[in-house]
Amino acid sequence: MLRYLLSRLLQAALTTFGVMTIVFFVMRLSGDPVLLLVPEGATREHIETVRRELGFVQPIWRQYLTFLGGLLNLELGVSVVQRVPAWDILASRIPYTLALAGAALLVAVGFGIPAGIAMAIWRGRWFERPIAALVVTGQSMPTFLSGILMIMLFAVTLRWLPSSGVDGPASVVMPAIALGMLSMSTFARMARIAVVDELSKDYVRAGLARGLPLGKVVTRHVLRNAAIPVVTIAALETGNLLAGAIIVETVFAWPGIGQLAIQAIQSRDFLVVQAIVLFVSLVYVAVNLAADLLYAGIDPRIRLGKP
Amino acid sequence: MTAPVLDIDRLRLEIGAAAVVDGLSLSVGQGEIVALVGESGCGKSLSALAVLRLLPDAVRLAGGRILLEGKDLATRDMSSMAAIRGRDASIIFQEPTASLDPLMPVGDQIAEALTAHRSVSAREAMLRAREMLVSIGISDPDRRLAQYPFELSGGMCQRIMIAIALICGPRLLIADEPTTALDVTIQAQILHLIRQLVAERGTAVLLITHDMGVVADIADRVVVMYAGRVAETATAEELFRAPRHPYTALLLASIPRAGIKPKSRLATIEGTVPPPSSHGSGCRFASRCPLAEDRCRIESPPLVDHAPGHQAACWRSGQVATLGAAA
Repeated sequence: MLRYLLSRLLQAALTTFGVMTIVFFVMRLSGDPVLLLVPEGATREHIETVRRELGFVQPIWRQYLTFLGGLLNLELGVSVVQRVPAWDILASRIPYTLALAGAALLVAVGFGIPAGIAMAIWRGRWFERPIAALVVTGQSMPTFLSGILMIMLFAVTLRWLPSSGVDGPASVVMPAIALGMLSMSTFARMARIAVVDELSKDYVRAGLARGLPLGKVVTRHVLRNAAIPVVTIAALETGNLLAGAIIVETVFAWPGIGQLAIQAIQSRDFLVVQAIVLFVSLVYVAVNLAADLLYAGIDPRIRLGKP
Repeated sequence: MTAPVLDIDRLRLEIGAAAVVDGLSLSVGQGEIVALVGESGCGKSLSALAVLRLLPDAVRLAGGRILLEGKDLATRDMSSMAAIRGRDASIIFQEPTASLDPLMPVGDQIAEALTAHRSVSAREAMLRAREMLVSIGISDPDRRLAQYPFELSGGMCQRIMIAIALICGPRLLIADEPTTALDVTIQAQILHLIRQLVAERGTAVLLITHDMGVVADIADRVVVMYAGRVAETATAEELFRAPRHPYTALLLASIPRAGIKPKSRLATIEGTVPPPSSHGSGCRFASRCPLAEDRCRIESPPLVDHAPGHQAACWRSGQVATLGAAA
């Protein structure tokens, strides 16, 4: 167990380091950042001043070391647009995105997994069909379309929910559904596949043979075995949720990281974009590390080291 | 004679329109080990599953009675079957390791078989599970109870399956190829264990196997199946001494035994079991039978008594002895 834990931690640390390096170099490959930052028609002296101020005159390896050193102190540079540290800007948006992504994950897991289990157990029966129809709808509908349709129905016509912005907990409902819908379908399909796969295994028949009703075999044995692939999907889906947040936050004027990313790109706020990319990557690494630890919790073969 | 524990009467199983088991009748008495023998695909495992109504969705129980201590299981609904499985009749399977949940310690899985039928506390159930392991001769039971299936050998997993099957004291144990997946030395141990437990408890055993060596080892009576039908049934001793069906005779001739000449060829039965869809009106073994004559291909032979408890379905059973001598 300890070896597994250490190897996973080391992997996560290596991935993090790789992410930082790639972010640093990709940002520098995308053209001279100074030219993006200065206003159009700036004088040569002005450009040089900015370049020196931001440390871009130093050799690249020194810039790289400064960048890594800065990261250790949560020092991500200063936004050239707002003249405040990029981290402060990012930090003010993180809670909104976490709330939105968390609520969306709740929608996705809360509806997707029971739907998937139900489809697996009643596969081929008539009541699988309406659930499957819902899942396919969720999967086929682009986020911006479902978001706008919901705004028209629930905010404009029925006036049940606020159309956009942050105005109490009710505001998160529509963005969370819009964002969670695609993931919900993925969870439902994956849970169905995993449960169907497990139901065909010998231990299910053996469980029935010792007199357990099917419901008990499912809750006591099948779900836990089916959880492993689903946890993998959950970790991967977090990436989709963060990517989807860019569109959903724009549609619903939700002041999270996704909206900030669009704003920062449009105003060429180079260091803020870099901070966002870094943050999202690190969340992804952390979630996958959490998934690895969950595997060990679920499966003794990982925990105890299969010979 | 007391009433048999299990009495299967003219069981018929269908996949689509084809009968995969066609009129199987057999009975198993208290403390008796009856072997149901045949090649892969002859319907023996499906018949075993049918007793506990564990058939795959594609297979339909189309007729016959399955009397367990007088109660007909063939007409029961699925919810009342759960109460019978594991309590009145248990089954162990070919793949012991796969038959255990890989994520649960085996002790919990044994205890679960008890709590499914008796209202006992978790602690009490675990104590009983421990007793069960001791009674089937497993050393260091406390350590075993806490282990996961992947930490145990196949033979140990099959012992655990036997413990699960017997913890509620069922009247009938069905063993579906219980030793096929195990090493030969472990096979002998498991068979010995089954025979010993049957003797102690008077459990009736229906043993499904394709291995005549296993049959010779522990069976009291034998039912030989071919292509979904009973070919021959007799006591084990009688069957080995004087088979009355050419299929049985050829099966016996194909067993390797000590004393055969090195590099000599073992007898084989040419061809394969015909699929259920191709059965005509005649004897189903006719296409592979060295004794087959015209009548065999047209008319299906009935099961005929040859001695008390010895029946065979063959028009030419009188000539079977010559076949055995030739092989």
